[in-house]
Amino acid sequence: MSTDNSTAVRLDGITKRFGDVVANDDVTFTLEEGTIHALLGENGSGKTTLMSVLYGLYQPTDGTIVVDGEEQSFASPRDAMAAGVGMIHQHFQLIEPMTVLQNVVLGHEPTKNGLVDEEAAREEITQISDRYGFDVARHLDTPVRDLDVGVQQRIEIVKSLYRGADVLILDEPTAVLTPQEVDALMEVMDDLRADGHSLIFITHKLDEALSAADQITVLRDGEAVGSVDSAETDERGLARMMVGREVLFDRLEREGEPGDPVLTASDLRVSGDRGVEQVADVDLTVREGEIFGIAGVQGNGQTELIEAITGLRSIDDGTIEFGGRDATEMSRRERIESGIAYVPEDRQKEGLVQEYDLVRNALLGNQTIEPFVDGALVDWPFVADHAESIVEEYDVQPPTTTSEASSLSGGNQQKFIVGREIERDPDLMVASHPTRGVDIGAIEFIHNRLIELRDRGVATLLVSSKLEEVRKLADRVAVMYEGEFVDIVDPGGVTEEEFGLLMTGHGVDEEVDPGPDLGIEDEEVTE
Amino acid sequence: MSSVSDTDESKSRLERIAGYLLDATVLERIGIAVGATAFALLIGLVIVALAGYDPFRFATQLVVGAFGSERAIARTLRFSTLFVLAGLAVAVAFRAGVFNIGVQGQFVVGGIACVMSIIWTAPYLPTGTVGGVLLIGIGVVNAIVFGGLYGALPGALKAYAGANEIITTIMLNFIAIGVVGWLVNGPFRGEEATSVRTEQLPDYVAFPQVVFSDPNFSVVGFGIAVLSVIGVAFVLTRTRYGYDMVTSGYQATAARFSGVDSKQTIVATMTLSGMIAGLTGAVFAIMIQGSYTDPAGIGNYGFDGIAVSLLAANNPIGVVPAGILFGGLESAGSHIQIRSDVPVQLINGIIGLVVLFVAVPELFRMIGARMGLGGDDR
Repeated sequence: MSTDNSTAVRLDGITKRFGDVVANDDVTFTLEEGTIHALLGENGSGKTTLMSVLYGLYQPTDGTIVVDGEEQSFASPRDAMAAGVGMIHQHFQLIEPMTVLQNVVLGHEPTKNGLVDEEAAREEITQISDRYGFDVARHLDTPVRDLDVGVQQRIEIVKSLYRGADVLILDEPTAVLTPQEVDALMEVMDDLRADGHSLIFITHKLDEALSAADQITVLRDGEAVGSVDSAETDERGLARMMVGREVLFDRLEREGEPGDPVLTASDLRVSGDRGVEQVADVDLTVREGEIFGIAGVQGNGQTELIEAITGLRSIDDGTIEFGGRDATEMSRRERIESGIAYVPEDRQKEGLVQEYDLVRNALLGNQTIEPFVDGALVDWPFVADHAESIVEEYDVQPPTTTSEASSLSGGNQQKFIVGREIERDPDLMVASHPTRGVDIGAIEFIHNRLIELRDRGVATLLVSSKLEEVRKLADRVAVMYEGEFVDIVDPGGVTEEEFGLLMTGHGVDEEVDPGPDLGIEDEEVTE
Repeated sequence: MSSVSDTDESKSRLERIAGYLLDATVLERIGIAVGATAFALLIGLVIVALAGYDPFRFATQLVVGAFGSERAIARTLRFSTLFVLAGLAVAVAFRAGVFNIGVQGQFVVGGIACVMSIIWTAPYLPTGTVGGVLLIGIGVVNAIVFGGLYGALPGALKAYAGANEIITTIMLNFIAIGVVGWLVNGPFRGEEATSVRTEQLPDYVAFPQVVFSDPNFSVVGFGIAVLSVIGVAFVLTRTRYGYDMVTSGYQATAARFSGVDSKQTIVATMTLSGMIAGLTGAVFAIMIQGSYTDPAGIGNYGFDGIAVSLLAANNPIGVVPAGILFGGLESAGSHIQIRSDVPVQLINGIIGLVVLFVAVPELFRMIGARMGLGGDDR
């Protein structure tokens, strides 16, 4: 372990331009040795760019990088790696069909007589893995694609350690994890710190930054707003630094009572892409002026359920009634026409055509609806006006309709989609992860719009993997686990811990049985 | 040395290069096309010189052969007419993300349908201009219908049975060429024909000669091509059906989200593409052939259409200049073949070089876009 208070990494006056776009503007950042330093900021604030500069993926336009007291100029990640800097990307850089062992040693194979010395590799990986209590060792001969995301992430960490990294950059590591896995990751980070490693933890989640990090640097619009000790700040303070103003976090009390049922699904059974049943006998009712939330760890059938309701996926069994009509056999287009709006889970692939400008994207889903079209002809001037008004009312930046969708940041893409779907004047709004990957200012904005919609009497079906979002917005919450609703609860009456239990398939009042088939105990073993 | 860094590094480099190619603007693409043509011709001239021929004479003849005289221009426009139409048929499909490699087959089916329907109905209609116009109308409509059906078939196979359209259309090309070849040599063979061909169309079934007096070219034919381009461009950009098709081509998932029935769209796209291919066959039969011969020997307009469409970045309007460039090269090629001692293989090789240079970047662009490269994730 190294001496305290020495600097592991110092980035001094880093500026990075891409053409006219300034991604980082004179950012100074100091990572003390043996600490965890969170890099906090909204999407598009330049966190990943800054770290890509440190990792040698980008060359800074200006500024210096000092690692372990030596000024460095990294031409590639190879140089950064040699200087002891490792990065765990948000999207894992693992080769799926290859085994864990092969992935870890790839490019760094220990050799004996010109052959790969598998035994030596096995031993070393096992050592690293045991040291931090990883369960990687027992998976060494398993192809990576057969392992779940949490384990894959630990393989990435082992890979960096195996290559001798002292400084580890973790880019949004919690984005893909369940709450339990997040806890386990935090423990791993603690262990790594205790062992003398220095960690940079990129995140846009305030609570995670606060609980994991010793120090927090906030980036906004490519500039470092400031660095604080995590002990000396709180969520509100950080939020203010991130967006430059106060943000509301509290659950808003509703006025008025929900009305008649708008959407009723009965005995719904839906299969996933591989033909395996993903939704098993779900009943749900969404009423006028009600937000019905669906919580749960992703991949428990939410996607399939939503797609069945919006008409993107055929159902195996059951009925769907919408606005008093049988909608079971309705096509996607008929459902749009009859008043179902949908903010899709995947805005990049579904919600927008990336290469279209916003005018052409404003027509998406409205192709058969007057006055967007007159018979077969598209009324482009009308569509353009409509796009203009969405951009204006929903605060889409930059405020122009001629830019390609792909040039917008995630939050602005999402605001445009939310705007387009709300302006459809729906009877039912289906919103799937409406604020995923969206910065905090836009989250608040989208939430307020959904609440307005509710107050206008629209029925809303909200799926989110963010618990606080469902708790804040929904009037009733169904927790989904392995294709079924474990329970439908009043979000005000259930604690976060109880939600956590429900999300792993336990009832609230149920005793947690440490039996072999239950998720919780198993998870703790694997983590 | 290290795999993380290697994969990161090579990936980012690949993405950067792909980005340049894939995200090119219209203007950049025109620049790429013009530059590529010039560069390919330059290399071609070097090859001509190395082979011992006079490159300057070759270059001059290239221009003269394409645009040097009224005859040359008429010949260029004759080829261009077919390239524009065939390119348009391909572009419609590619635009909607369907790879119709079967334009050649649909072109052949349309051509024979045109010729036979005219021959069979001619006895019941008056002769002269009125009959000519009626018969051309009948022939063209039949060509469009049969070409469209022959395109709808692989479309339906793809949509409802999951059959890869590239494979089915290629196979259907062989079937069309084989069956029509048998027909013109058997049941459809003209009674007095000395070679393998159908009866001649009546001589009043022909496009009028305006501006150019070339027996194998009429401005009317070229006009049909241009009108088709305008019509297709209008459908694609101004109608909701076009929006559905183009959106399917750009991003099938977003099209589905917006309520587009992907199966219907695939069939509709293939049908429209086949209809244009059939029309190409009709123009070819009426304007150039005046009968129908063995389709194995009538030229690969359907395949050349793929290159034309790629050069035009699958833009229907862009098909016009791309088709004229190809028409010019083809025309110059046939001129040089007669007027100089440069071997035909060398001429075709140089034309091939131009095709390679101008069309392949777009091909890579399409493949890249399909694989999800390009675009800016930052």
